[in-house]
Amino acid sequence: MWDLLARSLGASTIFLFAALGELVNQRSGVLNVGLEGLMLFGGTAAFITAQTTGSYPLGFLAGLTIGGLLGLAHGFFSITLRGDQVVSGMGLWILSFGLTTYLGSAYTGPLGLARIPSLMGLSPFFLVGVALVAITWLLIFRTSLGLAIRSAGENPAAAEASGISVVAIRYLCVTVGGVLAGLSGATYTLSYNPVWNYNFLMGWGFVSLALVFFSMWNPWILLAGASLFGIMWQLSLSPELVLPGVLSRYVWRTVPFAITIPILVVISTPWFRTRWGLAKPEALGRPYTKG
Amino acid sequence: MRLGRYELTLEPRPAVSAVYTVLTAVVAILLALALSSFLFLSADASLLGAYRAVFSYAFFNPRGILATVQRAIYLLFCTYAFLVPLRAGLWNIGLPGQVFAGALAAFAVPFVLRAQEAQTLALAPGLVILLMVAAAAAAGAMLGGFAGLLRARLQVNEILVTMMLNSILFWLVAYMIKEGGPFMGATAEGEGFTLPAPLTAPLLRGVPFTAALALGAAVLLDLLFAKTALGYRIRAFGENPAAARYGGISPVALSLLVFLLGGAFAGLAGYHAFTAVPGVYKIPGNYGFYGDLAFYGIISALIARGSAVGAVPIAVLFAGLSLGARFAQGALHLPFGVDYALLGLLMMTFIASHALYQFRLAWRRVPSEVLQPAPTELPEG
Repeated sequence: MWDLLARSLGASTIFLFAALGELVNQRSGVLNVGLEGLMLFGGTAAFITAQTTGSYPLGFLAGLTIGGLLGLAHGFFSITLRGDQVVSGMGLWILSFGLTTYLGSAYTGPLGLARIPSLMGLSPFFLVGVALVAITWLLIFRTSLGLAIRSAGENPAAAEASGISVVAIRYLCVTVGGVLAGLSGATYTLSYNPVWNYNFLMGWGFVSLALVFFSMWNPWILLAGASLFGIMWQLSLSPELVLPGVLSRYVWRTVPFAITIPILVVISTPWFRTRWGLAKPEALGRPYTKG
Repeated sequence: MRLGRYELTLEPRPAVSAVYTVLTAVVAILLALALSSFLFLSADASLLGAYRAVFSYAFFNPRGILATVQRAIYLLFCTYAFLVPLRAGLWNIGLPGQVFAGALAAFAVPFVLRAQEAQTLALAPGLVILLMVAAAAAAGAMLGGFAGLLRARLQVNEILVTMMLNSILFWLVAYMIKEGGPFMGATAEGEGFTLPAPLTAPLLRGVPFTAALALGAAVLLDLLFAKTALGYRIRAFGENPAAARYGGISPVALSLLVFLLGGAFAGLAGYHAFTAVPGVYKIPGNYGFYGDLAFYGIISALIARGSAVGAVPIAVLFAGLSLGARFAQGALHLPFGVDYALLGLLMMTFIASHALYQFRLAWRRVPSEVLQPAPTELPEG
């Protein structure tokens, strides 16, 4: 039982890193729907680097760097060029999906390095994730930088008038978001499941994106949501642990995705929106033009 | 950015001419092809030889041409499936899921009629084929319409919903055709049953009738958007939803409608890919590849900027390129995934061209009173 829980929290960590980055992103008003692409590219870069150099730190460094660079690219398109953020995000996703399939194909297979040590089966990255949740919460709700980030996402014109550089804040946040997405991908390919295969994520990034909406842009709720989805994900991979012989294993694989839709529906109802929906950054997805 | 007496700025392009639209599309495609030279660096042939291998197989080899046509039909249906909602400003990235739904529904017809074997066929084959086409379109439309309805009624993000449906349908197909699933083939493990010969889509010179549907739909769609009130409403809603609402356009009905229509096209793509292409005629074990291929529909609709007729040559080109790349991969010992990489490169050059499409670089002479006289001599001391 503990093994299953520990493995589930390992899966949660992947969701958590990516979603936390997206949360910071969205708090500053920038939506990045290409999260899955950033994770794919970061994870692939980390895997290739770690395998060729034999070094985990270099692998993580590569993953974080690629994630950050892609985040910056999204920033350039959506902040400087004020383009449609959905176009850019979708573009980054398909770009990463296509290029990583080609770049990684020669590395298909296991990583072949000694596994990163775990704490009684629990991934050390989960603890890093919890720490990051606390740091993000403090940053967003208890510091002046956090206030600047939130105001850039709520009312950029007012933020600018009070002396905040919306452009600089948003660039900072998209880069941080990209780095965390890269970390998420790298944690997947180097620790959670160190076997490279093309399009290895198969929807993790989009579930992470949905988790940000579920979290009402609060890091602690995000932690709870990510943990829940990690458990659900792990159970869907090995349903025989709970319900042996009931339904095909392929049907169980649909469960995490199928549950996401009704949750999305509930949080979209007017009933929910009027009570708890106020947390949504007001200027989310809207480009800011300095007046 | 200031360079001497001139200032270089990015500013929005006011109106875009048709020539410029075509030009940006051509430049985006050529640039992606140029960038793909990097993919061929590890090839066993010269750069020119690699390109020749891709194009000669796709467009000059008799077998290759037929395959290109088959794939172009598939890509065209996928293109429409993305294009119609896009005109209303909505993103239907659920193409793979809707394709799979269409395929499952098409095969459900002979399955329900117990017509997996030609001898047991009770109905006229033509009628069964018609039912299969209708079922595929209806299944795709239902899946698309579900996302459209949620979007219309509750503003649920359509990107997330369609993406979740992609994963759900992917695993449902696996359930249906693998490990003893209902649609599993009698002889082969891990793939669907083979369609009896009378139920395969009729061919004319090796080209199935779906070609006529795909080309006809291109013309009808462009007429819809250019000439009808409904098309105008869709475009108005896509360009400015708030203004469209003040103009009396119902967002609920429109969002639902474009997703129903888009989903139906994706369902037809599923019908075409698995029941009309000679040599397939079943849901193969690698059906996931067709789902990935559907994303070419997104990029061709984007590059065609919403014109269905404009998407026809683009889809033919992409069909040829993706096939030729697969062929060259084997012939020139390239790593797997050249066709995927091309998809990525096209997306990259599209985003770059999109920026140039919306903005232009403007040179302006800076008025001399704004320019501070630069110190030309060192201050004394």
